[in-house]
Amino acid sequence: MTSFIVNGSPVETANAADTPLLWVLREHLKLTGTKFGCGKGLCGACTVHIDGEAVHSCLMPVSAVEGKEVTTIEGLSANANHPLQVAWVENQVPQCGYCQSGQIMKAAALLKQNKNPSRKEIVQFMDGNICRCGTYLRIISAIEQVAAEES
Amino acid sequence: MNGQKRTTTSLVDNPINRRTFVKTTVGLSFAVSFGGVLTACGDAPTANINSNIWVTIGSDNTIEIVCPATEMGQGSMTALPVILCEELDADWSTVNIVPVTRHDEAYGNPDFGGQLYTAGQASVESYFPIMRRAGAQARRVLLTMAAEYWSVPITELATENSLVLHRESGRSISYGELAANGNIPDPLPEVTEADFKPRDEYRIIGKVTNRLDIPEKVDGSAVFGIDIQLPDMHYGMVIRSPVEGSRPEQVTPSHADLEGIIAVELLDYGVGIVGISIDAVFEARKRIEVSWSDAGVAATRSSTKTLHEYQQIANDHSLTGSIWYERGDVKAALQESEQLIEAEYQTDYAYHAQMEPINATALVNEAGDAAEIWVSTQTQTLTVYAAAKALGTSNDKIIVHPTYIGGGFGRRTHMQYVEDAVLLSRATGMPVKVIWTREDDVKNGLFRPASAHQIRAGLDGDGHIHAWHHRIATPSVLEYFKPRRWENAGGIDVISMKSADNSNYDLPNMLAEHLITERHARIVPYRGIGAGYTKFVIESFVDEIALARKIDPLDMRIELSRNSPRMQTVLNEVAQLCDWRQPREETALGLCVTGYGETVAAGVAEVSLDKSRGTIRVHNFWAVIDPGLVIDPVNTEAQMQGAVIFGVSHTLKERITITDGIVDQSNFHDYPVLRMSEVPEVHVKVLSTDNPPSGVGETGVPLAAAAVANGVAALAGIRLRHLPLTPDRVLAALESKRAGQDA
Repeated sequence: MTSFIVNGSPVETANAADTPLLWVLREHLKLTGTKFGCGKGLCGACTVHIDGEAVHSCLMPVSAVEGKEVTTIEGLSANANHPLQVAWVENQVPQCGYCQSGQIMKAAALLKQNKNPSRKEIVQFMDGNICRCGTYLRIISAIEQVAAEES
Repeated sequence: MNGQKRTTTSLVDNPINRRTFVKTTVGLSFAVSFGGVLTACGDAPTANINSNIWVTIGSDNTIEIVCPATEMGQGSMTALPVILCEELDADWSTVNIVPVTRHDEAYGNPDFGGQLYTAGQASVESYFPIMRRAGAQARRVLLTMAAEYWSVPITELATENSLVLHRESGRSISYGELAANGNIPDPLPEVTEADFKPRDEYRIIGKVTNRLDIPEKVDGSAVFGIDIQLPDMHYGMVIRSPVEGSRPEQVTPSHADLEGIIAVELLDYGVGIVGISIDAVFEARKRIEVSWSDAGVAATRSSTKTLHEYQQIANDHSLTGSIWYERGDVKAALQESEQLIEAEYQTDYAYHAQMEPINATALVNEAGDAAEIWVSTQTQTLTVYAAAKALGTSNDKIIVHPTYIGGGFGRRTHMQYVEDAVLLSRATGMPVKVIWTREDDVKNGLFRPASAHQIRAGLDGDGHIHAWHHRIATPSVLEYFKPRRWENAGGIDVISMKSADNSNYDLPNMLAEHLITERHARIVPYRGIGAGYTKFVIESFVDEIALARKIDPLDMRIELSRNSPRMQTVLNEVAQLCDWRQPREETALGLCVTGYGETVAAGVAEVSLDKSRGTIRVHNFWAVIDPGLVIDPVNTEAQMQGAVIFGVSHTLKERITITDGIVDQSNFHDYPVLRMSEVPEVHVKVLSTDNPPSGVGETGVPLAAAAVANGVAALAGIRLRHLPLTPDRVLAALESKRAGQDA
């Protein structure tokens, strides 16, 4: 039994200790905004926040989040109004959209620790998140826009 | 954020549901067949509503438009309804989208033989005429109804944003009110070409229309196939045979010995596992052992050997291929030529690497002869066929709920995973979501085929290309993935040979031949299909000829495009954008053009080279596209950016190899795709021209490879003739250049 907080609400799961957090979120808690992409921490589609830090939920055993706060794309903002989500729409970033939850969660973690990242810092931080549709340039623009607005 | 979305209402082939659909909509439905025959119907169910309703106007002024294409990131879910909405002169903010959930030729793509099939950047090009006509017909009926309602001549009426206006009296009535209260005219008025809106009156086509799917894709609410949740849903995986064609013979342990597992099922091609949770299935998978039948010759396949064989076939002129394109007399012309230039090119297998792993969810009825399927699919039609075939039932017993697709790129045109889901649901009586891991997908991937080319050009005394002979040795993709279509294709395979015809170049004697080779891997369409390699070869070779003639590659292409003003325009535009004549210090430029359907485009890559590591970097890419009438300029730009990045990715990195019949790669660590730190700046100019609209989703892919290779040739004097342009190949080319200089 693992107890933790997801998007502000306490949850308990009976999954085996080594079950990846990804599958607990997606298939047990039905929070399907967090995506399965590679299962090996190679693509970033499964990115969530644990106590504010971006992590690959596909590699994180559920037992490791005991007592911690997990935030998924569903809990990033009240009404999809996080500045990054707004900028994502304004910049028409997503194409297929599958990687975008992970991209947004990763970018949100970046801006939390660095309000005004340089382009180089953005690219360095975001490099673990693959977008096969090739929306990278629009992702950079959206992050830069938010950074400029916030600082 | 707007509230527009896909409706949950769907067009199903159950007559009760159909009536419900029409009735709950309360309003007017318009059905227009491809012949242009219109039917309209009020809220009472009538026999008139067969299958081809395109638009329904609700009494509350909402508008439902059917979108036959599936949305996989290309924007068709917005672009197609925009076309209808424009001609209807309706308020775009009230439009909702209805997907098609069965195989229905009424909505099928006429360019895919009436199949519901989203691929080949064909949706806008193929559906523009019907969407436009459906909108115009519906508008005409509303005008006729308003004329009768007010007793005024129809010529005094105008429309705007879902209103019919009578300016003389200052009256207006909404489409919804007319739908609720007007009389449907009998007979229905028909429109002609002259009734369509002139382009200069467009209010949404050509303007920025924010894509309807985007809001759902930033808050996690967009539902992809893999996200489906059903009551009592179970989870399935299939351990697939490591080599194509081998079958499971023995499997241990049985499901009774595996916690949370309700079935371990022997299938023809693998072992299906069904469990109560995804984690149970993962756990069971670790413990299950399978012995496989001998795969025979398939277990001896090696991609290196395959490509070597293909090259021998390409070079062996005693073998003639299927003629893809022929003009003049190439053999005679080659003999007359003053100078002959010849080269061999090769391209490796490539994998789609779509971000959403393969999956499908099925619920088969107790009798085992009907199913509902929730799936990311590029084709409702082939999904229905695959499920019906697996169950031995008829097509009308299958309902498909197409979801958003987490990347298509051709991968979701082949339906093994639908077969998995229906077989495992039938075996267990449960709704089953089957998920392939990334490793399952790479190891059992369906690839862009490997290809080997021999290409020869004969130049006349003035250096002009007099003869062009391109021999392409590669299997037929159609033969494997659409055998029924192949039977009637006369040996012509558009998937394998796309864009080998050089349709934008003036080549007096030309022959493109398809040497149809034996298939040594599973192959399906891949974004850009054959053009991904044919354009690499053709446009690299054009630069080889330009070098031999000592003329500028841009000038050479302008000359070759003398009969294609559209191509000349994009060439001149891209040259201006990148400042083509300006020499660079550490970098060089390479050029490539492509036609794709009716679309034309030109691209320039600016590259640099790390000569010690053999790594190529693409710093900038300029692209100019003319897709005729542009439906949405922002999405067109985004599609080009994405497709160019996809193209640069397959150019530099992507390579599937096969040893002893087994795919060597398994995940993104050994099948890397372009990451953010590696992408070029992509500068796109979109030209909207007087031509009919054509596609934009794939054109950028074939632009990339030759532009990069030509840039490297300009920079370092080496010609890279094997795709992808990996560091080992770059280093080998540098070494052979050095050896040549030393000799």
